[in-house]
Amino acid sequence: MEKEKLAAEQRASGGRAKKAKNSCQEVRDEEEQVTTAVASDRAQQLQGMAEKLSLEIQGMSNYKQLYSEIQRIVASSAVKKDDFKNTLLEALKREGLETELRNTVFHWMRSQRLDKPKEQANVYGADLSYLKKAQMQWERRIQKSLNSMCNELNIPLARLRSAADRDELAEKWNELSTCDFDLGQYRPLFAPKDFLEVLFSLRDPTFKKQPNELNWEFSHIQIKVKTLAQLRDAYEELSRGEPLLGVNGNVASSLGHCPNLEAERIHLGEKVLKANQAPVAQEFLKRGCPRALRGRLWSLVLGSVVRDADADYYDELKAMVLQYDLMVDKLIIKDVQLTASNDDQYFVFEDLLYKTMLSFSRDSEVLPSVTRDKCAGGQVIHAVLQGKPATLENTLVFPPSGVIPFHGFTMYATPFCYLYDDPCAIYFTFRAFYLRYWFRLHTVSSHEQGIVAVCLCFERLLQCHEPELWAHFRNLHIPPVKVVFKWLMRGFSGHLPPEQLLYLWDLVLAYDSLEIVALLAATILSFRKDNLMQVNTVHNVEAVLADLSSIKVMPLLQLSLLRD
Amino acid sequence: MGDNQTINHFPNHYELTRKDLLVKNIKRYRKDLEREGNPLAERGEGPGKYLHLDFIPVTFVLPADYNMFVEEYRKSPQSTWIMKPCGKSQGAGIFLINKLSKLKKWSREARNPFNPNLTKESYVISRYIDNPLLIGGKKFDLRLYVLITSFRPLKAYLFKLGFCRFCTVKYDTSIQELDNMYVHLTNVSVQKHGEEYNSLHGGKLSVQNLRLYLESTRGKAVTEKLFANISWCIVHSLKAVAPVMANDRHCFECYGYDIIIDNKLKPWLIEVNASPSLTSTTVNDRILKYKLIDNIVSLVLPSDGVPDVRWNKCPSQEAMGNFELLIDEELAYQDERENPTKYKSSHGKWK
Repeated sequence: MEKEKLAAEQRASGGRAKKAKNSCQEVRDEEEQVTTAVASDRAQQLQGMAEKLSLEIQGMSNYKQLYSEIQRIVASSAVKKDDFKNTLLEALKREGLETELRNTVFHWMRSQRLDKPKEQANVYGADLSYLKKAQMQWERRIQKSLNSMCNELNIPLARLRSAADRDELAEKWNELSTCDFDLGQYRPLFAPKDFLEVLFSLRDPTFKKQPNELNWEFSHIQIKVKTLAQLRDAYEELSRGEPLLGVNGNVASSLGHCPNLEAERIHLGEKVLKANQAPVAQEFLKRGCPRALRGRLWSLVLGSVVRDADADYYDELKAMVLQYDLMVDKLIIKDVQLTASNDDQYFVFEDLLYKTMLSFSRDSEVLPSVTRDKCAGGQVIHAVLQGKPATLENTLVFPPSGVIPFHGFTMYATPFCYLYDDPCAIYFTFRAFYLRYWFRLHTVSSHEQGIVAVCLCFERLLQCHEPELWAHFRNLHIPPVKVVFKWLMRGFSGHLPPEQLLYLWDLVLAYDSLEIVALLAATILSFRKDNLMQVNTVHNVEAVLADLSSIKVMPLLQLSLLRD
Repeated sequence: MGDNQTINHFPNHYELTRKDLLVKNIKRYRKDLEREGNPLAERGEGPGKYLHLDFIPVTFVLPADYNMFVEEYRKSPQSTWIMKPCGKSQGAGIFLINKLSKLKKWSREARNPFNPNLTKESYVISRYIDNPLLIGGKKFDLRLYVLITSFRPLKAYLFKLGFCRFCTVKYDTSIQELDNMYVHLTNVSVQKHGEEYNSLHGGKLSVQNLRLYLESTRGKAVTEKLFANISWCIVHSLKAVAPVMANDRHCFECYGYDIIIDNKLKPWLIEVNASPSLTSTTVNDRILKYKLIDNIVSLVLPSDGVPDVRWNKCPSQEAMGNFELLIDEELAYQDERENPTKYKSSHGKWK
């Protein structure tokens, strides 16, 4: 029975898992080629694909380790010369390397999917280049205000850290809250509301403005977003009404030996972890994750399991923070102070967050992902170290990650503090999550996962399914997006209680999409409709929506997705 | 008092809430159980160690138990002890001691407090929990609210919305920091005066979030065991005082339990407060205290809202709000008579 369940879960991961499996076969075949130089018929057919894969995998972060592991196995006595192929495959399987290879192909395929937005996102064949222009303008504006803040405060963008400063920072690395930073004059470069203004001012140059058209609708932006019916298809497990963890863990289990759903989920989750297969883990998350397994499952899905090399890399980032004194450091510290330090759900993690965010700013592995993305503006600042000649070796990308923090940026990292004790594990899972999802929430782009698409999706949902509420907002001249934007931009972090937030992020990861964030925002408005209909000012609308502590994410989402 | 009156204290609640009397009652409770041959009083290795009833730090009343203290002190001279005046609260008069000489010096300065005729104030000295569980490097304790509607039979309820109180300064056991009370004491009344005090969260983290953190980072089984052990130590502290309490039917009382968790996830009962602070330090604190008072009132009154001493004090599930039943001896007894087999398993928790 329970085997069937697991098998069902595996089956449900469907085409993707199967594809991953096939690709694994290819990689295995390809490995074989490399080592034996004997091309079988099958490998010949797939050679093109296999070559591409092997090239891609060489560029992935875990390649080195994978390669040396395989070398070790090839050299071991388990692999016989006279039956090379079979004994090698056998050994790879036994040592769990086959799974590693499968997972690697899975991670590569996932990254492909996000890098190339599906053609259907631009189904109208519209020219969306104005969005890219808007992003470039926005980047220039941020850089300008960064420079003017430097001028105002008379500090350089970058310089070498003084020895005294370095020693103090090194000594207090684990308790940076005890350092006395003078940050009185620093303020965040921008806040969500500034970014929203940028979004509101987006105009399709080919689109004629109607005389009575309001200035705040996204509907004219021709990005394809899902309708509720399409969301129901996509979020099938929710819309089918399957029992979910986070709705009621005490309902009966379909497995005979588990007393309830929670026990069943834990039991299955442990099996999934044992199998160590990323696609199955992603599938598992769809029905809600038990607390005790979440950290490990997320790392598995994101490929952010910490290896020795990662721990070393994390130390290098710290060394970079100690070496260079960057102006963003102050902005980062200020942001932690303004957000997490004042938040009764996250204040205990203040010191962890300083480390995490400072290290992140130095992470040059972040840079290519955020700048090379098709939709990004791709502009970076180059800063010359103060007091040094402007040569290549004295120039650095500012900040090395390419990400300039804004008010609330820290909130993308805070929830991970509940998942892991190890700062390194917090760091790499946060980074993976950020690079896959969150950076799209503070850049203007035509990407189907970008903030514009999320806003548009929210708007359409509200308009179609809560027309009364929509009209009410319209009569009051309140853009509905305005009251939910802070939720959307932070993926609800800091707005929902941590437990509920983690359920939401389970779904983001499980369905590999940010649409659920837009759906939740629309659902909350719909849920509070009666109260919203009774108030007439922005202030009171915001008051109705201020406290989300009673919101239960899974039941609410399931309710809105269930078919009538 | 009339039949339709009720009051929010038991006349001699100090049996539970005075530091010295609580210790005395618990010690007596253990001895009584041991004499009965009750398996609860089973001892572990080493003298004075109880396997199941070892939920308060080793404590002596000074000056009365001075000689016993010195004997215990000599067994492990490197440990730290904490001195607390019996009759004071909110962290007043508390200090740490790591040398016997320091205690002697204190006693000289305090004008011979070892002669009970000269001073009214007595102290308790307890082994300091020097391995507290730290989160984000900081020490915390738990403030839990426990409502008692009757001591005989015992009827106790635990408020689910307790919170952790964090020190504002990193935990540090070095000698230099021994006198820094911001490191060691979690009392809000102490921490409030620290430079680092933040008035938006007041150093308070909800118990639900603590639980989420522990389950995620340490696992479900150990977390559940911790919370079961917390309930265990509350129930037995109450059973320890139940025989001496004046059990008036007009009375109910809400106590503030202070519990410290050590890094092996063992809870230690530190003290019980009679009139826990109901003022609020933050917005969420205000919501919590509001719910607390509201739920207490709904739980202690019969459904018609009029106090009545003849009421059986069995509130409905809805009336309990955020309280959960810790123990109701009367219900358990009824249950036992009606379903003798079921009783064994459900009540086994307290056995």
